[in-house]
Amino acid sequence: MGLIDIIKKATFFEILQGMSVTGKYAASKKFTIEYPKEKSIPYPRFRGSQALLADPVTGELNCDACHLCETICPSQCITIESSETPDGKKSLDEFTIDLSRCVFCGFCEEVCPRAAIVMTANYELASYDKRDFILTKEWLIANAVHAHKELKGR
Amino acid sequence: MTQFIFLIIKAAIVFFFCVGLAAMLIWGERKYAGWMQSRLGPNYAGPMGVLQTFGDLAKLLRKEDVIPDTVDKPVFRAAPYLLWVPAALTMAVIPFGGMDAKIFGWRTDLVIANFDAGIVLFLAMGSLAVYGVVFAGWSSNSRWALIGALRSGAQMISYELSMGLSLVGVMILAGSMNLVQIVDYQSGAFWHWNFIPQLVGFVIFFIASIAELNRTPFDLPEAEQELVAGYMNEYTGMRWGIFMFSEYVNMIVMSAIMATLFFGGWRAPFESWNVIPGFLWLIAKMMGFIILYMWVRWSVPRYRYNQLMSLGWKILFPLALANLAVTALVVTVK
Repeated sequence: MGLIDIIKKATFFEILQGMSVTGKYAASKKFTIEYPKEKSIPYPRFRGSQALLADPVTGELNCDACHLCETICPSQCITIESSETPDGKKSLDEFTIDLSRCVFCGFCEEVCPRAAIVMTANYELASYDKRDFILTKEWLIANAVHAHKELKGR
Repeated sequence: MTQFIFLIIKAAIVFFFCVGLAAMLIWGERKYAGWMQSRLGPNYAGPMGVLQTFGDLAKLLRKEDVIPDTVDKPVFRAAPYLLWVPAALTMAVIPFGGMDAKIFGWRTDLVIANFDAGIVLFLAMGSLAVYGVVFAGWSSNSRWALIGALRSGAQMISYELSMGLSLVGVMILAGSMNLVQIVDYQSGAFWHWNFIPQLVGFVIFFIASIAELNRTPFDLPEAEQELVAGYMNEYTGMRWGIFMFSEYVNMIVMSAIMATLFFGGWRAPFESWNVIPGFLWLIAKMMGFIILYMWVRWSVPRYRYNQLMSLGWKILFPLALANLAVTALVVTVK
């Protein structure tokens, strides 16, 4: 043990160094988000639960019932029931997402030709009841309030 | 008769001050530890979580008090109290202000016991605390608890030696073991305080007191990773709570002793600042030491057992002896 080591030990140099680090952290700003009181704001491309968007003017759903999202969904959690209206258009009867199977990959949003189904910023999906994870068409339409801003206007 | 009533009032004030401060310190330490770890610490109960301890108290009181069948019941029940009641008695000899002070027309000494063997009382009562730990560990009839108690016994005995010796320097300087007279010896501005001639003694006392308090870096008796909870392993509910509480009462007592012996007790750092009452200065000094204890605790990792022993016997003990010899020599030559 050299002289420098002895001086370092006698003056508690290393312990004081450590204490200065903890002291700095004690005085520094905390980045904690106190979750139930304040909520974190997801990034603009965050993939939360899906929503069905409607035309802001007419209020009609963007969805054409083309079944593309149902086809591409890797976990096959989307179920669509559609029928033909008398004037030859397809109408969307049922649109169900099984959230317990959804992997939030966002393929449904990417494949959608009309931005009818979008991933939203809604991440508060915990529930005590498994049945709450079956998202109905009404739930998905109501969920549009959580849609990312850049998609809302389309 | 008036003095007797004053004695009771003073004892009650000091006792409730200790208990209340200990409750606040439990919250304070959690908060401070949180800040050091970039967390917020408790923040739900009351403003900034100050009521956290009282919430914990309510929880602990409602919990089932499990006393295992195989424990030695009377010893098991007595151990938590043995840990803090003797230590809290030391507060009786701490002067909180001048002698013969005037309070609302009455005159009284601002100390519970103006008692000639104050330091000896402190050392004796501090040594009794080890019985609390050893009784708890022994009576629990559990291997973790027993090993914790054995470690604590060895640790406390080896550190008590350096601790006592580091105080002898102060006794020699002041020529008294009475804490009131030691504070009087340090009267004047802060360069008259004992920590300047007795710097080595103060550092040894501080290190030894951390070991006495069983706090990190010397918390081997309750080393979580090795011994689960050490000597308090078999305790539940409020009995465990008393162990937790006693740690903080002991911390208050230790910092009060340190402030009194080395940092001028209730005296202000400058003569002109004595307009602020003495007890506030004492409390401010105590809080400084308590914050230092907490700071050390959350910064320094735990020592290994052999490192602890070699630090105590090979470094602190010879240093304390050398400090004592030098102090004695200087005082004699003068």
